[in-house]
Amino acid sequence: MWESLNLKDVVALARDPYPSIRQWARDTGKKVVGSTIADVPEEVIYAFDLLPVTILGTHKPLKKAPSHLPDNACSLARSNLELALSYEGDLFSGFVLPQVCDTTQHLSDIWRINFPDKYVESYLAPRQADRPSARYWVKEEIERLIASLGEWTGKTLTNEALTASILIHNENKRLLAELYEIKKKNPGTITNKQFFAMMKLSLQVDKAEFNKSLKSIKDGLKLKKGKGYTDVILVGITCDPPEIFDIFDELKLNIVGDTLVDGTRYLRGAPSLNGDLIDAMADRHFHRGFFSPIHDDVFKNFEEVKKLYKETKAKAIIYVHIEFCESQEYDLPDLKNLIKKEGIPMHVLDTEYQTTSLSHVLTRAQAFFESLKGGSL
Amino acid sequence: MNDKLTSKQLSKKITDEYMEDAFHAHDNGKLIGYTTAISPVEIFVAHDIVPIYPENHAVANLTAKKGVELCSVVEGMGYTNHLCAYARSDLGYRKTGVTVTRGIPDADLFLACNAQCFTLTKWFQVLARQGGQPVFVFDTPEHVMNKKAREEIVKYCVLQLKELIAFLEEKTKKKFDYDRLKEVMKYSAASSILYKEFLDMAQYKPSPISIFDALIGMAIAVYRRGTQECVDYYQTLVNEIQAKVDQGIGVLPKDQEKYRLYWENLPVWFKFSDHAKMLGSYGGVILTSLYVHAWSFEFDLNKDPLVTLAENYVNRFSNSTIEDRADMATDLFKKYSMNGMIMFMNRSCKAVSFAVPTLKDILTKRTGIPALVFESDMGDQRFYAESQVRTRIEAYFETLDRLGLAQKTAAA
Ligand code: SF4
Ligand code: SF4
Repeated sequence: MWESLNLKDVVALARDPYPSIRQWARDTGKKVVGSTIADVPEEVIYAFDLLPVTILGTHKPLKKAPSHLPDNACSLARSNLELALSYEGDLFSGFVLPQVCDTTQHLSDIWRINFPDKYVESYLAPRQADRPSARYWVKEEIERLIASLGEWTGKTLTNEALTASILIHNENKRLLAELYEIKKKNPGTITNKQFFAMMKLSLQVDKAEFNKSLKSIKDGLKLKKGKGYTDVILVGITCDPPEIFDIFDELKLNIVGDTLVDGTRYLRGAPSLNGDLIDAMADRHFHRGFFSPIHDDVFKNFEEVKKLYKETKAKAIIYVHIEFCESQEYDLPDLKNLIKKEGIPMHVLDTEYQTTSLSHVLTRAQAFFESLKGGSL
Repeated sequence: MNDKLTSKQLSKKITDEYMEDAFHAHDNGKLIGYTTAISPVEIFVAHDIVPIYPENHAVANLTAKKGVELCSVVEGMGYTNHLCAYARSDLGYRKTGVTVTRGIPDADLFLACNAQCFTLTKWFQVLARQGGQPVFVFDTPEHVMNKKAREEIVKYCVLQLKELIAFLEEKTKKKFDYDRLKEVMKYSAASSILYKEFLDMAQYKPSPISIFDALIGMAIAVYRRGTQECVDYYQTLVNEIQAKVDQGIGVLPKDQEKYRLYWENLPVWFKFSDHAKMLGSYGGVILTSLYVHAWSFEFDLNKDPLVTLAENYVNRFSNSTIEDRADMATDLFKKYSMNGMIMFMNRSCKAVSFAVPTLKDILTKRTGIPALVFESDMGDQRFYAESQVRTRIEAYFETLDRLGLAQKTAAA
């Protein structure tokens, strides 16, 4: 189903992967388990012979979610809930829902109450990451998830199955990282839209199959440097709708680094296969980058962003703000000031799932990058 | 010595002394620790850290209608207008110094417990960045409905309490005294029982207290638990209310108490007394909410203090699943014989409000009582539509009348 896709197919599927997931589930007879971002160890779900699918909103209209979650809840949460309630709920046999903020805590409850006949498990991520107890807790939660999935499926997780799963996931990350490197150096080869579509689809389809597509896409690439690109860094949690990447492409921006949960933060989450696997999965939680609901240290975030900016020699930072995300909104004013003080140009993009008109985004971004080129910042 | 003081006088005395102590903390070699209203403050008290609750200070300013002025300042600093009004008004106070009280002393350290909400953690982080003080996040995963998970959560929280103690020892260069903690826990346990007794007096008919009394009465439980004076205060309060009960004195006279109401969420602070009057005119009295019960702890003194602390703080309503919240509220409905409910969608407080639509559905289904849902903000008047709220309340009581839900004992 997903082993011989070209870049065009990937872009189309990333926009709406669900018909293909449906078909795949029918063909293979396997069950599909949905999660939201971030940090659910998808390798574990996969190792139980289930398909982990990261739900990243829907572009279809909101119908039911508003009566459960008011309009000051982040659009990502509302969009995810809508996808499950109105459009794709029946596709999933179960859900593993991570909790990172007040919104996700409620979202898990609402979700469970609305799907009384499905398997719904919470993954309680620690909201502190600097003390030994955090590591203890991540490990505890991974083990609890394994026990819970074991009970639900009636299977016992073997070391072999988990190793095989981790290998597939790590391979996926490796291929994506290689493609990212190619894209960074040769922006004329892969567009931003195409690259982030590969990232997104990786979180949603069977990676054993999709890795084959990634490999053949990579092997078939004809490197093109391209001209007139401006290198930028993308900072935030996630970036949606995908048409925003069209805007970046139109403005000839080349994303050469990012801190997104469904971007580099995902790529950095490859556990080592030497030693205890659960330990390795717990460890990687702390090697991943900054994520505002988990870390308290905006200074650290700033240092990370600054380092990335310098290393990549980017020209500007684009901060993707998800409307009504409190975690971001408490951090952003200080982060903005720190970045400004450092003399780094930064553009804040206010995004919302379900947005149909992006003309204002384009106009604002255009103005920003024009002034950047004119050196009048 | 306090025998002659009324609960009101006692509350004032305790508060004045507490603030005095806070403002002179450094002179007395003590540190100031900012903390969340729901947080294991017993650890602070046992270690002589003076706890300060910026939320309480925010309440004073919001009740005095300073919300818009303070919040606007913060919005000018780049914060969005839909963050919690406590946080916004507090950050506004930091910027302008505007307050209707004498203000609060600055923090030496922060303790953020997310059993209450995650907002406070983020808000404290902003303050800590301004002043460079350390923040300790006491992370309390949701009290999910799974026995095994709950046991693990408590273990995780106990580990963190040990880390908290080590953190405080390091900051104060003083060894933590576990015996002192046991003593503090005794006071906390005793005052919590009395506090609950006070709240539960709303079950009498007519009810001698409304939620507005509960909201005023909860202040000492929030900022002075773990002390003898807190126990004394609630004993005095309970005695006073009991005397009212004995004399049959209610918030409304017995023949006028038609509707015994449940309130979901925090109050609209700047409409506090207006709401009490408005509802009273329809024969309605709000008796309780899950919010005021948040400080009805049930500490088990036979357990390791850290374990009973962890167990109590993780199972607060605000950290419980919606199903558990619904059970807690249903118990209150039964116990207090309530026949109406006002569900406030408070824009400020996502931690409480995002549960409201689902909670409302469950409660109306279970009790057969319709609910009044209204959206506004607890502290930012810009989100309060006076005439709309009035019309909704009026219509709601008409509905209840039409359904014949009024108390049989009431005259109407
Ligand atoms: S962290 Fe922000 S974007 Fe993510 S669910 Fe919470 S509020 Fe929404
Ligand atoms: S009102 Fe709600 S969001 Fe604000 S501090 Fe209190 S619990 Fe947190």
